[in-house]
Amino acid sequence: MSKVDIRNVSKRYGDVIALNDVSLSFGEREFFGLLGPSGSGKTTLLRSIAGFVEPTSGEILIEGGDISRIPTYKRDIGMVFQNYALFPHMTIFENVAFPLSVRGVKDAEIRSRVANILELVQLGAYGSRRPRELSGGQQQRIALARALVSRPRVLLLDEPLGALDKNLRQQMQIELRQIQREVGITTILVTHDQEEALTLSDRIAIFRKGEVVQTGRPDEIYERPQNAFAAEFFGATNFLEGHSAGNNGGLGSVRLDDGTLVLTSDVVPANGERVVTTVRPEKFRISAAKAALPEDGQPVNVLSGTVVRPVYIGASVTYHVTTGTSELTVFQQNREARLFETGDRVVLNWLPQHAVVLAG
Amino acid sequence: MKLKREWIGLGLTAPAYAWLCVTVILPLAMMLYFSFLSKMPMGNAEPAFSLRQYMAFFQKDFYRFLAWRSLMLGFHVTLFCVLIGYPAAFVLARLVKGRWREAILLLVVLPFWSNALIRIFAWTMVLRTDGIVDQMLHFILPGAPSIGILYSYPAIVIGLVHSFLPYMILTCYISLQAIDDTLVEAGQALGASNLTVFRRIILPLSLPGLFVGVVLIFVPVVGAFMEPRILGGRQSIMLGTVIEDQFTEVFNWPLGAALSFTLLAIVSLIFLAAYPLLKNRLKVS
Amino acid sequence: MSLRSAAGSLYLGLILVFIYLPIVIMMVMGFNESSSYELPFRFSLAWYEQLAGNETLWRAGRNSVLLALASTVITTVIGTMAALALSRYRVRGHAVLQILLFPPMAVPWLILATSMLIFFYYSGIGRGLHAMLLAHVALSLPYVIIVVGARLQSFAQDLEEAAATLGANPMQTFFRVTLPMIAPGVAAAALFAFGISFDQFVTSYFLSPPGVTTLPVEIYASIRKGFTPEINAISTIIIVFSMLLLVVVSRFYRFGGAK
Repeated sequence: MSKVDIRNVSKRYGDVIALNDVSLSFGEREFFGLLGPSGSGKTTLLRSIAGFVEPTSGEILIEGGDISRIPTYKRDIGMVFQNYALFPHMTIFENVAFPLSVRGVKDAEIRSRVANILELVQLGAYGSRRPRELSGGQQQRIALARALVSRPRVLLLDEPLGALDKNLRQQMQIELRQIQREVGITTILVTHDQEEALTLSDRIAIFRKGEVVQTGRPDEIYERPQNAFAAEFFGATNFLEGHSAGNNGGLGSVRLDDGTLVLTSDVVPANGERVVTTVRPEKFRISAAKAALPEDGQPVNVLSGTVVRPVYIGASVTYHVTTGTSELTVFQQNREARLFETGDRVVLNWLPQHAVVLAG
Repeated sequence: MKLKREWIGLGLTAPAYAWLCVTVILPLAMMLYFSFLSKMPMGNAEPAFSLRQYMAFFQKDFYRFLAWRSLMLGFHVTLFCVLIGYPAAFVLARLVKGRWREAILLLVVLPFWSNALIRIFAWTMVLRTDGIVDQMLHFILPGAPSIGILYSYPAIVIGLVHSFLPYMILTCYISLQAIDDTLVEAGQALGASNLTVFRRIILPLSLPGLFVGVVLIFVPVVGAFMEPRILGGRQSIMLGTVIEDQFTEVFNWPLGAALSFTLLAIVSLIFLAAYPLLKNRLKVS
Repeated sequence: MSLRSAAGSLYLGLILVFIYLPIVIMMVMGFNESSSYELPFRFSLAWYEQLAGNETLWRAGRNSVLLALASTVITTVIGTMAALALSRYRVRGHAVLQILLFPPMAVPWLILATSMLIFFYYSGIGRGLHAMLLAHVALSLPYVIIVVGARLQSFAQDLEEAAATLGANPMQTFFRVTLPMIAPGVAAAALFAFGISFDQFVTSYFLSPPGVTTLPVEIYASIRKGFTPEINAISTIIIVFSMLLLVVVSRFYRFGGAK
């Protein structure tokens, strides 16, 4: 059974449509990422679940019950804000005890529960400090402890790591995931950082202009994006355009505009229709023009071109390769004896399953 | 839920609305009504609607002369406040630093907080013939002439400038200190002289504060009655004092009401006329 | 550069002399023996002793304090409520209230006071301490709403939203989160309100019936009757009291913002 259901939720501000008929289901104990650029509606959805935004239409259910008409404080949710929103006039203990004390929990129980949760976030000794005396990462953990201490039904995270620097953010991602598993709470994360969404989430929904573009496991979305927006938003990619040349023997073929035939393991539409395929830069194998094809006899795509510009990154090299009709981006691990230079003739190979046919 | 929030919003403001209705809206409305009455509605006398009270203003030179005097008083006091207060705010905001600045600012606004009446009263001791200044002068220079200027127009101006100067210093200071130092440095780096920097950068950016100060001073000074009474003696007669008389001595409330609204109209017209000139300048910051 | 600073300091010094000269002279004269302010100065507490026996002034003083206290409590409560609504519960019609806040600040007090006199007289409200209370609250209300409103704007709504997600109902949120956060602003506003009421002369003057006066009204009457150093004595007490009040305000409320 799903824990939280979003059913046909729309939100309009005058003429602006912030959410357009969004439906999603979040499972028990699931860590779900809402990913998208700013203004895509992901935050509006999160704030609708929290009760700060009232949807124009649609229903939001928690454990099967409609909460649309219930005020925020009765929704039994936990939320971590981007800037943590710790109460500056209270100590850490008072901050974490707040959700229990407003619910009238007895003092002795408050003390033990706060102590337990502070242990969980490894800040047991900080109860008497003030929020401003803590580092950003510590404040973040306190905000998490405060959101979890009342054992809410859902945990909402609004860009929770956005204010931390990169190293700390990566460390906190691991901790956050650990704590979430330990507590076993359904968690909804809003982020615009695709790496963060990948690392943390069991499943991801990609938002664009108030609509959900694609939902799925991180690897599904990365490997098999359904449309150009999902493909581009989720890391660098290349597009190869052409016309369908039919399906044959489990492989679809696409004739590119320069005449090259590209094989894909996806099903292509009827003969002659316009088709766009996408290939991730690291899926290419780049070799000198005269190098031999792969050995194992598998069908493989071949495209020849010229290096326009090598970009040296250190662990890898990014080549911009022109094929005459389009320019492709290629990642290569930096382990070859010799790097290609501008003007070198090269051959690109990739497997049919790495050529993904996009919808529309 | 949304509806409930609206009710909360209205409920929270209801007492303030009600209070301001009873003390501002209804009284001003009633006063407007009164200003069109021919005489005080007292006893059996049935007052009629008339423009008599307003006609008095336009027919009798006396009232127009008074209005002119009140406006000139407002102009003089405001002018001196600008001339004295703006440089003071400038020095405070741009040359004085740190704790000193806070201390001096506090010293400037401190007396402004104490009773206006008492400060005006204090000037009578300073300014009158045989007053403190006079006595000290004679102590130093026994043969010197008396310099008491109490009960004169300058005395009224001095007292009012003293009363309202802190307003001007405070409002100008607030907008001057908000000017980013880097703007001034950029101006200097681009080769502007100090004078040009002041004229082209600092003055335009501090204009809103200056304007607020002018409004805050001009409006109450035009309606002043207590200060002219205490410091002005025979020179004290102003539109404000005549209005006061209508309510406390003569009991011709309709005339007092008409004069009040005329005063309000003149002040509003002046600012309405000034607004287009200032609008663009004020928008900048 | 240092010459410019020196000239600037000198200028500020002169202005402070101008501001404080009359006040200091008035205070000193309250301790001078001569009833007509004659020099040389001879120290005496005679005027303060005389003041102690002046029942009229004491009654006026008690009225002033009671009025200021009542006005402070009422203005602070309804002003804070209104400020909260204006910044947290936006509804249509709030623009009207914001416009209503201008007249008490922008219309000369003489006109407001006389219009209240007319309205109170004919509506049966009448004159007296209750009428003065109505006026004092109206005049200080805009300042309270502005000061508390500024404080409300200065901290993000996040804290209140956080409190709601943590299970606090609107009342708990207000008393446990919002109020502690705006407390300095509310305290400053309350002191402002006290000061405005305590120093209020114009409205009290028009709304006081014979025999019921406040300190400023009583002092005005005495000045018009002819000065005595007794007025200096009471004025000194009021000034010292008011200034102490402002020093306290400045602990809560920084003038001119921080930089």
